[in-house]
Amino acid sequence: MSGPHLLQQAAIVGVAATEMARRLDTTSAEISLRAALAALDDAGLTVADVDGVAARWPGPGGTVFQPGSADWADVFGHPLRWVCDTYPQGVPAALDAAAAVAAGLCEVALVFGGQAGAMGGAAVADYTRPDNEFIACWGSLTAAQFALVAQVYRHRFAPDPERVAAIAAAIRSAGSDNPAAVMAGRGPYTAADVLASPMVAEPFRMLDLCLATEGAAAMVITTAERARDLRQRPVAILGGGSEWHRQQYVNPPRYDEVWGLGADAARRAFALAGLGPQDADVFELYDINTYEVVRQFEMLGLCSEGEGADYLWEAGVGVEGRHPLNTDGGLLSYSHIGWGGPTLKVVEAVRQLRGTAGSGQVADAEVALVTGAGAGAQYHNVMVLGRG
Amino acid sequence: MDGPTVEREDRSLRPLTGEFWAAVDRGELVRPVCGDCGRSFFVPQFSCPQCQSANWSYQPSSGRGRVYSCTTVHRPPTPAFEAPYVLADVDVEEGWHLLTWIVGCEPSEVAIDMAVSVRFVAGPDGHRLPAFAPEEQEAAR
Repeated sequence: MSGPHLLQQAAIVGVAATEMARRLDTTSAEISLRAALAALDDAGLTVADVDGVAARWPGPGGTVFQPGSADWADVFGHPLRWVCDTYPQGVPAALDAAAAVAAGLCEVALVFGGQAGAMGGAAVADYTRPDNEFIACWGSLTAAQFALVAQVYRHRFAPDPERVAAIAAAIRSAGSDNPAAVMAGRGPYTAADVLASPMVAEPFRMLDLCLATEGAAAMVITTAERARDLRQRPVAILGGGSEWHRQQYVNPPRYDEVWGLGADAARRAFALAGLGPQDADVFELYDINTYEVVRQFEMLGLCSEGEGADYLWEAGVGVEGRHPLNTDGGLLSYSHIGWGGPTLKVVEAVRQLRGTAGSGQVADAEVALVTGAGAGAQYHNVMVLGRG
Repeated sequence: MDGPTVEREDRSLRPLTGEFWAAVDRGELVRPVCGDCGRSFFVPQFSCPQCQSANWSYQPSSGRGRVYSCTTVHRPPTPAFEAPYVLADVDVEEGWHLLTWIVGCEPSEVAIDMAVSVRFVAGPDGHRLPAFAPEEQEAAR
């Protein structure tokens, strides 16, 4: 292939995350806009530069029509050249936006979203309570869907519970050190803390599971050429890929179908990058629960099926470890914000590559791996980022 | 719970799945079977996932199967559910599977690969649901 791949002709030039909390006294629209404006400011751009939007429209006002991204044109006060509602967050949106700017469909794509005033006092977010007629009637929830996968893994491989819990403890301790995290200052945590927390859906205890919090996140993607003139050192999109096994919350996820989910996407992503998973200096993996982290290291081929917990125990997942993991505290301890959680992974990866990640900064991080979704969701996505 | 009587939905009128729920209401378990390739499948879809034929029909199931996976839920998603309960993915012997509950034993007794058979129970809204119970217990009744 001559010249850089199309994806590599785009760069991430601005990122932002708002304050994060269990409840925020504002609206999803307001907090989402605030994240969007902050990401533009981070890039040295303004609303006038934006000609592509990937976002959900949460109202109030506007319509319920799709694409909701078009409703944001009214907020920004000018027409758009490209919109993308399909999956307007995280890795899929970054890849779609990169392809759009590289193909010339738009020049500055803004990906943003989040939630506030949305949780309504519920114990779990409504997006974790699926309404399919063959799922909802049984009292299933996201944690239980993922638990059905983890239980088969436990049955076959009997991982050491302490070594699995140590992964959650490490991520939560990173979150405790991050002043911006919802769980800032609540640690440090030990594996024993995780194992002593209340059971939710076996094998997951409370501290194995992600938060459901409020806040918003945003990223700005433009051409590599324009990126050179902007405020920040650009972050290059080196490769990426997605796998959609099937729609979630229709049929239960089955271990034999989904434990390796993402392996093909990761192979494609690293092949484009000309790298392998061992080359990643920092891992911002989708940590909706502890077993998903184990699964992803096995899926990436860094260890064999069944060996993930032992492998990570020996390799180390802290800032000084071989595989620094979820350095902001992840979905477990930093925040998980509905239509914005996956974007938080990109935000932290970009900050790592800029060298501005704060308490979790990995020295000289040059390559970052970002993932989204997981086995219980029955889709997965992978992106490799590098210093521009 | 006492309260105003709410008229329950007639599940037999649901598109695509009405026949399944009508059978459940009669105490029968059925599953879609493709008339062209013979594949049993679930959940019901408008066409067979193996050959895309729309020529399928609901056929009776033996209601016998094995636990593919199971998890005991201790924190239900809504107060309508009384924890703990055992969610399971059961492989039914005609080659299909469904999300269900394992009932008729303690949650700690449920294990992967356990033989189970269908047992109709009341769901949270009072509608019947096709749960499964350990096979031995069923035989002893």
